[in-house]
Amino acid sequence: MVYYLIVCRSLTYAQRTAAVLERGGITGTVLRAPRSIVGEGCGYAVKVAERRLAQALVLLNRAELRPKGIYIAESDGSYRQVGP
Amino acid sequence: MIYLDSAATTLQKPPAVARAAAAAMGRMASPGRGGYPAAMAAADTIFACREAAARLFHVPEPDQVVLTMNATHGLNLAIKTLVAPGDTVLISGYEHNAVTRPLAAISNVAVKVADAPLFRPEAMVERFRALLTPEVSCVICTHVSNVFGYVLPVGEIAGLCRQRGVPFVLDASQSAGALPVHMAELCADFIAMPGHKGLYGPQGTGLLLCARPAEPLLEGGTGSLSALQTMPDFLPDRLEAGTHNVPGAAGLLEGLRFVEGRGTARILDHERRLAAQCARELAVLDGVTVWAAPRLAHQAGVVSFRVEGMDCEETGARLGRQGIAVRAGLHCAPLAHRTAGTLDTGTVRASFSAFNTTGEVHALVRAVARLRSL
Repeated sequence: MVYYLIVCRSLTYAQRTAAVLERGGITGTVLRAPRSIVGEGCGYAVKVAERRLAQALVLLNRAELRPKGIYIAESDGSYRQVGP
Repeated sequence: MIYLDSAATTLQKPPAVARAAAAAMGRMASPGRGGYPAAMAAADTIFACREAAARLFHVPEPDQVVLTMNATHGLNLAIKTLVAPGDTVLISGYEHNAVTRPLAAISNVAVKVADAPLFRPEAMVERFRALLTPEVSCVICTHVSNVFGYVLPVGEIAGLCRQRGVPFVLDASQSAGALPVHMAELCADFIAMPGHKGLYGPQGTGLLLCARPAEPLLEGGTGSLSALQTMPDFLPDRLEAGTHNVPGAAGLLEGLRFVEGRGTARILDHERRLAAQCARELAVLDGVTVWAAPRLAHQAGVVSFRVEGMDCEETGARLGRQGIAVRAGLHCAPLAHRTAGTLDTGTVRASFSAFNTTGEVHALVRAVARLRSL
C-alpha cells in the first residue's frame, strides 16, 4: 500500500501533527522515522494514506505546523522526498 | 492522621493517580526511544499530560509544557535562562529559597526586593512600580506566599513588566490547581509549578510553561537529532534530557484531570473557606497569633499562626503527637518571614487541599486550645 510519511522535528511535534489530522478526520499514525530519511538521527514521522495527503497538508498549514519533510514509500521499500 | 501540610505536598490524592502511576510502571517504556507499543503508550501519556496542562493554564501549544522534577527545577531553568552575572533582578518580598538561592548562585546579581506588608496588594504593586527601574532585567514573583497564603497581585505586576518590556517569571507553586493561572493573559515568559501539590500528581513531578526558548540545565539524550552533539533548539526536547519520569507523568495526568473535572474555582473556594475558618477559630484562642487577610480574596488555603511562649517547632511537634500534621519553622522562605517580621520566631503553618474538611479544622483548633491549657 502506498503511503506518505510526514517527518517531524520531534516526537511532540509528531503527536501534535497526528492530533490535528485526527481532529480533521484523518488517521495519522506516529512512528519512528526510517534512519535513511533523518540525516540528523532519531526522528518521528506521521504516516498517512496516499489519498489523504493533500487534505492533511491543508490541515497542517491551517494549524501552522511545518513538516521537516514529506516522503512517499516506494514499492521497493525505499523512500523518496516529495516535499516540502 | 489529619494532614494539613498540602503547601509542602498533597498527601491525599485522587485514587486514579496512584493507579495510573502503578500501571505505567508495568506497561510503559521510554517515550521517544522506540516505536513499539510500550514506548508509544508512554509517549501518548506524556503528550496527554502536556495537552491537559496546556488547556488548564492556557498555554498555546503542548510543546511549551516542559516536564520537570518539581517547581524548583523549573525555576532554576527559567532563572538561569534569563539572568546573567551582573544583572539586576526584582523579586517580591515573599519568595521561596527556590528563587533566592538560584539568584545567589549567579555571580554579582543585584536583587531588589519589593517588600510591602502582608495582605496589602496595592502597596505591593506600588513597590514594584517604584523598583522596576531601567536596570532591572527580570522580575520574579510568587503567586501565593507559601508561608502566609497571601495572594500577590501578579496580574498587575505582570502588566508593569509588559509595559516596560521586562521578562516576567511566575512561581505558581502554591496557586496551580486552585487560582487561575493564565499564561497567555499574564504574558509571562515562564511559569513554574510543582505537579505534586495542587495538581495532585506524584512527588518528583513539576511543570515549566515556556513562552520563549530556554537554556538547558542538563545535556543528554532526547530521542531527537541524535547525530548532533548539541541539544535540540526546540521545546520540549531542549529541556528534557534523559529518561522521563513516566509513572510520575501518568499520575500527574490523572491529577490534572481531577482538577479540570472539579474546577479550580470550586477547589479554591473550598480551601479558602477552610483557611478562613481556621484563622477565625484560632484567633479567638488566648495567646494565639494568626496571620489572616482582612479580605478573603487576598489569602489562599494557607494560614500561619504562633502560640505565644512556645517555640514554633515545639508547637508543630506537639500537634504531630496529637495526630495533626502541620509544618513549623521558616518554610524554606526566610525572605517572606523577614518581610512579615517573623524571621526570629518562625510560624506554624496549616495548609489545605480539596480533601480536607471543616471537621479537621475544628480538630486542629481543639488541639491548639489543648496546648494552651497545658
